[in-house]
Amino acid sequence: MGGDFPGYTRTVETFVQSLVNGALTGSLYAMIAVGLTMVFGVMRVINLAHGDFVMLGMFGAYWSHALWGIDPFLSVVIWAPLMFAGGMLVHRFLLKDVIPKGELNTLLYTAGLSLLISNLALFLWTGDYRTLNLAYAATAARPFGIAVPIPAAIAFFMAIAITGGLYLLLSRTDIGRAMRATAQNPQSAALMGVDVERIDMITFGLGTALAAAAGALLLPSLYLYPTVGEILIVKSFVIVVLGGLGSIAGAIAGGFLLGVAESLGAVYVSVAYKDAIGFVLFLLVLLFRPAGLFGVGRS
Amino acid sequence: MTRLLAAAGILALLAAPFITSDRFVQHLMILVLFWTVLGASWNLLGGFAGQVSFGHAAFFGIGAYVTMLFYLSLGLSPFLGMAAGGILGAMFALPIGLICFRLRGPYFSLATLAVAEIVRLVALNWEELTAGPMGLLITTLPPISFAGMTVDWESKAPFYYLAVALALFAMGLNYAVSRSRLGAYLTAVREDIDSAEGVGIDTVRTRLLALALSAFVAGLAGGFYALYFRYIDPDAVFAVSLSVEMIFIAVIGGLATTAGPIVGAVVLVTISELFRERFQAGHLIFYGLFMMLVIRYLPEGIWGRLRRLIGAQG
Amino acid sequence: MSNISKLLAAGVVSFGICSGALAQESLKIGAPQPMTGPDAPFGVKFKNAYSMAVDEINAKGGINGRKIDVIIEDHGAKNPLAATVAEKLITEEKVLVLTGGRASGQALEIASIAQRLKTPYLVDHPSADVITAKGFEWVFRNNPTGSIYPEAFNAFISEVPGALPKSVALIYDNTVFGKSIGNSVKAFLKSKNVPIVSDEAYPVNSLDFKPVMTKIKATNPDYLLMIAVSTTDAVLMTRQAKEIGVTPRAFVGFGGGFGVVDFAKQLGALSDNVFSSAAWSGNPNEPATAAFYKTFKDKYGFLPKEHEVEGYSAIYIIADALKRAKLTGDLAADREAVRQALLNTDMTTVFGKVKFGAWTGPLGDQYTNQNIYSRDHSVLAQWRNGELLNVWPKAESEMAYILADNTTTR
Repeated sequence: MGGDFPGYTRTVETFVQSLVNGALTGSLYAMIAVGLTMVFGVMRVINLAHGDFVMLGMFGAYWSHALWGIDPFLSVVIWAPLMFAGGMLVHRFLLKDVIPKGELNTLLYTAGLSLLISNLALFLWTGDYRTLNLAYAATAARPFGIAVPIPAAIAFFMAIAITGGLYLLLSRTDIGRAMRATAQNPQSAALMGVDVERIDMITFGLGTALAAAAGALLLPSLYLYPTVGEILIVKSFVIVVLGGLGSIAGAIAGGFLLGVAESLGAVYVSVAYKDAIGFVLFLLVLLFRPAGLFGVGRS
Repeated sequence: MTRLLAAAGILALLAAPFITSDRFVQHLMILVLFWTVLGASWNLLGGFAGQVSFGHAAFFGIGAYVTMLFYLSLGLSPFLGMAAGGILGAMFALPIGLICFRLRGPYFSLATLAVAEIVRLVALNWEELTAGPMGLLITTLPPISFAGMTVDWESKAPFYYLAVALALFAMGLNYAVSRSRLGAYLTAVREDIDSAEGVGIDTVRTRLLALALSAFVAGLAGGFYALYFRYIDPDAVFAVSLSVEMIFIAVIGGLATTAGPIVGAVVLVTISELFRERFQAGHLIFYGLFMMLVIRYLPEGIWGRLRRLIGAQG
Repeated sequence: MSNISKLLAAGVVSFGICSGALAQESLKIGAPQPMTGPDAPFGVKFKNAYSMAVDEINAKGGINGRKIDVIIEDHGAKNPLAATVAEKLITEEKVLVLTGGRASGQALEIASIAQRLKTPYLVDHPSADVITAKGFEWVFRNNPTGSIYPEAFNAFISEVPGALPKSVALIYDNTVFGKSIGNSVKAFLKSKNVPIVSDEAYPVNSLDFKPVMTKIKATNPDYLLMIAVSTTDAVLMTRQAKEIGVTPRAFVGFGGGFGVVDFAKQLGALSDNVFSSAAWSGNPNEPATAAFYKTFKDKYGFLPKEHEVEGYSAIYIIADALKRAKLTGDLAADREAVRQALLNTDMTTVFGKVKFGAWTGPLGDQYTNQNIYSRDHSVLAQWRNGELLNVWPKAESEMAYILADNTTTR
């Protein structure tokens, strides 16, 4: 397996390339995970349909490009708000009454929702695999000889921008403060005058919007079919728990950590076991930090 | 009241193959029993102890592979293989439990998922042991006799009765646990683990016991799968979707009840067959919808709600 | 419990009445296919192909005056479901013969059941060698097996001067498909003393090939061989190989994903000069193929490839057998008659010549009821300007091969 790495420069190049790959992939993982962890932090809901919201964002970006020629990265401006509204509706009319029935029931409810959404998409748009080819993305950029695919790079920077915006929202605005208060202790927050129900709805909407945005960013680097959410949700979950449920910083750190670990693991250990490496890392972290890297909030 | 129901149920089960000779209906009945066993297995840990495991497929798959390998490579009786599968599944569960029980709630659940996925990837890549993605295939089952007659493996009857035996065993185990001191401890753990520790219950040992029993049953079911479906590969027996389906069965049926698993299995198998029949390619849309409706309106499960209505217990 | 049984029994009885009435009229073929789940697009391909064949045959009067009918059941790419629907098709729908399956795992499950329940099963696409290497006398296969897939490629690198690779990087998915082809290719390359500098199995339906391509780039291979059962893997790995900057002399893809119209549609110029080693890549110079292409395109709007022609041909092979079989109305006897008829098959379809026999495959598998012309079906083609054209064997080639790959920048 593998040959000798001829030359020192080749070895360094391979290592740096692996790190860059990991960071690029990790940024996208992180974006998907952030929405999931936020929803859990505020509402204690594990949303198994999150991957399908990402898929819907991907489809949105795909159709707005195919039909109206809108660049998928720009289309985030269209789809994020729409999915924000959609998420709020889902919470108000579907989730709100199920949450009091317990965490496990809510989780299974979202699993049913996931089946519903992905198969509806299959029915409406067929299972054909689709990819988005951007004219400006055909060749990769090569700073210092390291290949950086352009869509992944754009996604990386946009993901940083979006998460930066999210951070500002949470720390500087009243709504953000209310969200954080609800995450820490809903009863106290309610006593302090926070409309917890409204915050829950807004949070879920925000989580959905983030998922859709992640989808739009992800599309040019990946491919699209209705059940793609299935693969994404497991990864997102691992990252969210790895980083600490409810911690946005954790989701980001976890995303990058997983991306880099998988990348280095594939190159230096084994490609076949690439995913297993992520899981082993995950278990090791939990062994030493049972609440995840940045585990916060109530247990 | 429940005893009568239970007795009637058991009689119906035993007589069923004589009511219909339609192979496909018998196949569906076997599927129902198979899922009952899995639902009952999950129920032991998830229902009684409240530990939501997403990785039960690991024990199931180990049972399946052990049974296959015992039969194909070592030439041992498949029944021995099944028992070995259950035992090895339980043994494997113990170190897993020791690692995972340090974790709470969703951390525990995800850790079990991670374990199951690691096992799946090992099974996929460790070809010398498992033949990897090629899988293992049984072409002929051994000529054995039971009660003086040679077992006809081509008919559904032997598998049906084997499934009945397993289902009754699994449900019996559920019943025994629910009535025992272990059951009381498990309830304490489920409701408030810290207080349970506070009153002196060894929660780790209690949970490990539940886990071992649960894994044993899942392993047995895995062995049954191997013999009945004759072909296994890592994606068939270690899939996450299998773990999730087990949870569905247990929850839809009614957690922490004895009859919950079989009710859940009957409902879900019938529904998925009917939907596939009726809706063709869109059947999962309705399956998802059905799931959502049941959980919304019957959050304690179908049997959970029913038994409250009829005032039964278990 | 008994209520459900009654419900099911009632359902079964009404089914029986319906199918009983129809049985006098149509000859039933069962086809488990993935109609949901990630393999759904393939299920649709086969559905289209089958229905085109069925319509054509029925329009010409059917088989001895009776219509044929293909009953598709969804198995969602899950083995136990494949078992369930196979049982259903055999026991409830009382089909005379089975086809389909699509992925090898499900096909093996179906084959096992067909063999035990004594129903003929004509494999049209699944490629795991073992399906026709277990001595199942009820199972037949028209398409080449995984170990035969690379035959044309092997011939190409052996016969064309200068084409023998100086080194090879091999990447294949961790499925029966990937492994069978991978093993076959490796065995051949070893016999030619070609060094294999990279030998990587990747998890199917991967999200990211950049790490593995980075690893392969470091080994600087002369040829990059990519095996993918999944179209998404095929497209993604090719794109990312070029993004990362792997620059072999030739990219060679094995597997359905490299031979479908989507490949060029989604990769655009990046698909140029990629070789595709497939089970079939029709030569439009042949009138039968051209006619098939035209009819299919008129009906569905795109050119058919491997899967469509396999499904279409399977129906024709079955129809041919049904025509020769003496059907009496006794299900068990009829199935045996169909099996006998299949054994005596000797015909030509759009896919190629068909005759089933027992022979030994390149890796030593003892086949039974495997199409003896399978080795001829392996073809090496190359993508050029969005079109997939045969390049080897020379007798069937549509264009000259292009060997140096110059679509990546360095």
